[in-house]
Amino acid sequence: MYTLLIVQLAVSGALMGMVYALIAYGFQLTFATSKSINFGQGELVMLSALFSLTLIDSGLPYWLVVPGGMLFGVILGLFVERAAVRLSLEQKGEGWILLTIILGLLGFSAAENIWGRDDRPFPTPIPSDPLHFFGIDVTPLELSVAIGVLTVMGLVELFKRKTLLGKAFEAVSADRDAAQLMGISATRTIQLSYGLSGLVAAMAGILVAPITTVGPTMASVLILKAFSVAVVAGLDSGFGVVLIGLFLGALESLTSFYLGSGWREAPGLVLLILALAVRPNGVFGKASIRKV
Amino acid sequence: MKKTMLAALTMSLFTLQAYAADTVKIALTGPFTGGSAPMGVSMRDGAKLAIDEINRAGGIQVGTQKMKIEVIERDDEAKNERGALIAQELASMNDLAGVIGTVNTGVCLAGDKYFQEKGITKIITPAAGSASMTQWSKAGVKDLSIFRFSADDGIQAAMVVEEAISRKLTKVAIIHDSTNYGVSGRDDLLNQIKLQGNKLQVVATEKFNIGDKDMTAQLLKAKLGGAQAILIWGIGPELAAVSNGMAKLSLKAPLIGGWTLSMSNFIDNAGKNGNGTLMPQTFIEDPITPKARNFIDSYHKAYGVDRIPSPMSAAEGYDAVYVFAAAVKQAKSTDTHKIKDALEDLREPVKGVIATWKQPYAKWDPANEQTHEAFRRNQVVMGMVQDGRVAFANKADRQRLMKGAGK
Repeated sequence: MYTLLIVQLAVSGALMGMVYALIAYGFQLTFATSKSINFGQGELVMLSALFSLTLIDSGLPYWLVVPGGMLFGVILGLFVERAAVRLSLEQKGEGWILLTIILGLLGFSAAENIWGRDDRPFPTPIPSDPLHFFGIDVTPLELSVAIGVLTVMGLVELFKRKTLLGKAFEAVSADRDAAQLMGISATRTIQLSYGLSGLVAAMAGILVAPITTVGPTMASVLILKAFSVAVVAGLDSGFGVVLIGLFLGALESLTSFYLGSGWREAPGLVLLILALAVRPNGVFGKASIRKV
Repeated sequence: MKKTMLAALTMSLFTLQAYAADTVKIALTGPFTGGSAPMGVSMRDGAKLAIDEINRAGGIQVGTQKMKIEVIERDDEAKNERGALIAQELASMNDLAGVIGTVNTGVCLAGDKYFQEKGITKIITPAAGSASMTQWSKAGVKDLSIFRFSADDGIQAAMVVEEAISRKLTKVAIIHDSTNYGVSGRDDLLNQIKLQGNKLQVVATEKFNIGDKDMTAQLLKAKLGGAQAILIWGIGPELAAVSNGMAKLSLKAPLIGGWTLSMSNFIDNAGKNGNGTLMPQTFIEDPITPKARNFIDSYHKAYGVDRIPSPMSAAEGYDAVYVFAAAVKQAKSTDTHKIKDALEDLREPVKGVIATWKQPYAKWDPANEQTHEAFRRNQVVMGMVQDGRVAFANKADRQRLMKGAGK
């Protein structure tokens, strides 16, 4: 009974952790190519979810809503790159930090004005009746999160490894200047990474929305956790975020059970501090060698 | 040209002032956006329905003239600090007759002191947390201008505990949110369990934060302790997360809690998992009396809905306006201090949609908050969520109210 309890807690938490992992993966994608990240990534998650809700309300079937929402995410991602990142990267400045934060705030206000401040349910055809596996309760909804996260990440990784564009992506990630000398356009590749990052954010929003409900503040907690996951795993660790995401989710769930529900947010922050103190490049990160 | 404009401007200024003196200024405050919005918006809209009815009939008879009601609306967003700012702003108005509203107990605690300082009459509705009235009795205030028009948590907690005992349950878990409302609700529940003879064993006391969606840990503690019912104090979206979490863990125990379980954002987000949830209600959207039918129909028509987001808040807002208007009439003045005195000794019964209010308040006695509380136990019934609406949990209550109205 007791071990079952621990497993149940860990599984429930870990499934939520998958969402942290997917959002963290979005950070990684842009960091790999441009060494910049979108601090307004949470707003991308939220805006895409709200947009998808509008699509559902307009009567579109779910299987069309998902690609629709993802396309919206891609457009947002491209917009962030063009409006906030490109120029400051060209000038080798750090302006993107402030600009992405500002764009995020703008997105937040826009969402409040367009969709209102209320949390709303996100209808989904996936049932929420629990399934029982060896005495553990899991809802198909939670499973859909896990499957969705792994599928999207798998497809993006496949794209990076198997297609020409993807190889360009890897090349720019490895060494931007060298890739550029080989005739690969770094600007285009960075653009691509922001588009992909937007797609991943939208997917995260659509997957998590039926569980968390949809509203302007839906991603504010998620994004902090995702950031912890990205930093703890290492900003260039690939699938490392999944492991750390699972771990953090399970840890949170167990902490709130054993230490009390008030301590729920603590493990993420402790992990972040530990990682920065002991392994600043992340648990799965490669130590960067700076050649002068 | 310039002169005529100036003249016109001064003229309009004068007429504006003259106009202001002819109206009864009432402020409606509450959260009209955010997680508490169903309560705030329903309260406001219910109150405005009553105000429209009064104004259409020519206004309130104040002494020798009829005065229309003028509304000032303020959205406190359920935030304590915004509530405090709004209270300061309203308290600085000289011609304000009174304030009706506030949904969140924390907002009451943050803002009401500014009204009390100036002696501005305020009717709290529908905030239910005990602390918003006990803060004044604890401080030993001699003269209080704050009244409440909602079933306080003391009554509600008593009913919740009664319900659990009457179902012959012995083990319960208490889950609450970490706001002033949730914490004071937990204390009320624990207190009531003691008062009603310690028949319930509390196997777990757990809390959650606003915005939490995963309640697995809290619910597992309840399940592990063998809880036969979950007693809960929180607001809509998180309550729904608890209800959904219970379905996930196959925790088949009744969810019984404060009246917030009737909020539309609980009912909608919990869906079918919310069925059977029990909570105390002062008004149920069921046209059992002609007065109730009239109120429900005009609400639906005026705001284009087929379900009131929070029926109880709407009805309380509606009745509170009529009680306030009766006090203005009796005071023969728009002076907020005289209205307060009239409220404490309301001679004429006020026919409301919830009940006929006979002397709802008495002179404030710091030893007894009930002097400024309008609701008693018999005006509150148990409601139950049933397919997206709140219905009477006990047929007997429905019969009793129908008969009562017939008399």
